[in-house]
Amino acid sequence: MADQHDRVLAALELREPDRVPVMDLMNEFPVANAILDRGPNPLHRLIIDERLAPVLDQLFARLPTAALTDREMEQLTRRGAAAAVRMGYDAAWLTCFPVLRFRSSKVMTDIFGRLCDVSIDASGNLVNPIYREGLIKSPDDWRVWPKRDILRLPEKVHRVFQEVQREYGGRLFIFGFGNYGIFENTWQPLGFERFVVAARKEKDFLRRMISFHADLHCLLIEAMADAGVPAFVHTDDLAYRSGPMLSPRLIEELFGDHYRRIAETAHAQGMKILFHSCGNTTTLLPSMVDWGFDAVHPLEPTAGVALAEVKRTVGDRVCIIGNIDVSHVLVEGSREEVEAAVRSAIRDAGEGGGFILAPDHSLPNISVDRLRWMVEAAHRYGTYPREG
Amino acid sequence: MQDYLDRVKRALADLELDEISPLLQEALDAGIPASALLEAMSAGMEMVGERFEAGDYFLADLVLAGEEMKEGVEVLKPHLSAGDIGGRGTVVVCTVRGDIHDIGKNLVCTMLRSAGFNVVDLGVDVPAERVVEAVRANSAAAVGLSVLLTTMVGSIGEVVEALKESGLRDSVKIAIGGACTTPELVERYGVDALGRDAVEAVRIFSGWAS
Repeated sequence: MADQHDRVLAALELREPDRVPVMDLMNEFPVANAILDRGPNPLHRLIIDERLAPVLDQLFARLPTAALTDREMEQLTRRGAAAAVRMGYDAAWLTCFPVLRFRSSKVMTDIFGRLCDVSIDASGNLVNPIYREGLIKSPDDWRVWPKRDILRLPEKVHRVFQEVQREYGGRLFIFGFGNYGIFENTWQPLGFERFVVAARKEKDFLRRMISFHADLHCLLIEAMADAGVPAFVHTDDLAYRSGPMLSPRLIEELFGDHYRRIAETAHAQGMKILFHSCGNTTTLLPSMVDWGFDAVHPLEPTAGVALAEVKRTVGDRVCIIGNIDVSHVLVEGSREEVEAAVRSAIRDAGEGGGFILAPDHSLPNISVDRLRWMVEAAHRYGTYPREG
Repeated sequence: MQDYLDRVKRALADLELDEISPLLQEALDAGIPASALLEAMSAGMEMVGERFEAGDYFLADLVLAGEEMKEGVEVLKPHLSAGDIGGRGTVVVCTVRGDIHDIGKNLVCTMLRSAGFNVVDLGVDVPAERVVEAVRANSAAAVGLSVLLTTMVGSIGEVVEALKESGLRDSVKIAIGGACTTPELVERYGVDALGRDAVEAVRIFSGWAS
């Protein structure tokens, strides 16, 4: 039987492994904590305690919170790895994203210029903050935006991934994630309306921002490679449920060469690289292949992505990852529904290898029982050679 | 006059952001009624919607057209009378409680306004009671609820229940939209329609208005 690394690598290289590998996105404390039978972190309990809110508001307004939030993020990376191993996953997308800062008990910013609402789930876990708006309104705002923390990101990420890779890398193929993609890191600090107008009137300004973020990605890739991480996640939501957010022509014009450079940097370091974009990416997949990415994720069924069609059009050139629905199946679906979703995905994308089964997103309300059913079904129905 | 109206319609449809304000001002100076120019802009927006549905335009193009429409309305506003805007009925629109995503919601508001609706935009993270108050205060005929986060779909049900409890449910139609909305949610919460994007939303509300 192949080990996790060989199994995942075979799929990424479009070969047939011994069975379809299973992967998950370990981006949320609630799911990792539930897998590890742990309660919410003490810090999270403090933050949701309304009686303490005035005190925290005062503290967060006066004191730097980087040490606090960075430590939480490092804990998510370690806990995600431990949870993935406990679940028996072959691969995991591990997040180390030490960029958030508390501004009050209700509001966070990040080092790139996003303003977000603090988000806590029903059981008291801190979950992904919810983007509210951008803080960069003009080229001058961007010019003077403090970049020291941003430039320290590769070093921080390197330290955490080196430790995690050393401890878990023998039992888990790690996809390292350390930053949002160059499209999201450009539009979100501006706001989408502002970005769209700038794409028409201030392209040079946008190009400066995009180029900065692409350089940062290349540094992050090199840091992760140095830490021994075998694959890098570039996550950029280029699409929403009906299709691409921008015209493919504009995407190519503004971002195409940067995506190529990012993919080339990963390959030069001997790493694999995954492009994650939510939404209906069907028309963008050939571009992702052209940019040089080894794998595409998540191919959301609820956004109308037809997996068999994806396999037919790009499956001979790129590894397909994902497709198990988290809007219903992995949250409240029956065992039969989970099994049916797994069998359907393997039937549509598993032929000849080049497929990794995974949820189509990470959400705090995903059911651990259903994730276990997903793994069991993949083991049962995902063996190679496939039955005709 | 027709020449100006055609140019306005074309400028909107072709997303000529820099052209629209000076063109409208020139047309006003030439004595073209603001209401006719507003209609020409709406016709341009319809063409934008058609191009979007045909796959020639994308979300960013809808947003750009929306920005153009807002800019144009600012130029026309001093010259319009109350009856020129929102004659097709009132729609209350918001992002539901617990969710603060607003790109799709803003787009729906802009497209509905350009299609002749009076839109009451309640913003984001809106509790059910505020929707009920707005429906009552504005005698709204329809409600549009936006939700992106899967974890907050229950807020749709809260609005439906609150409208039922207040006795208003039978007098308003409810449409939902956003990344996580599905036909199953339409059935689960007993709403009337699901819009996959802003263009479809306009079609749904227009269907109800007629």
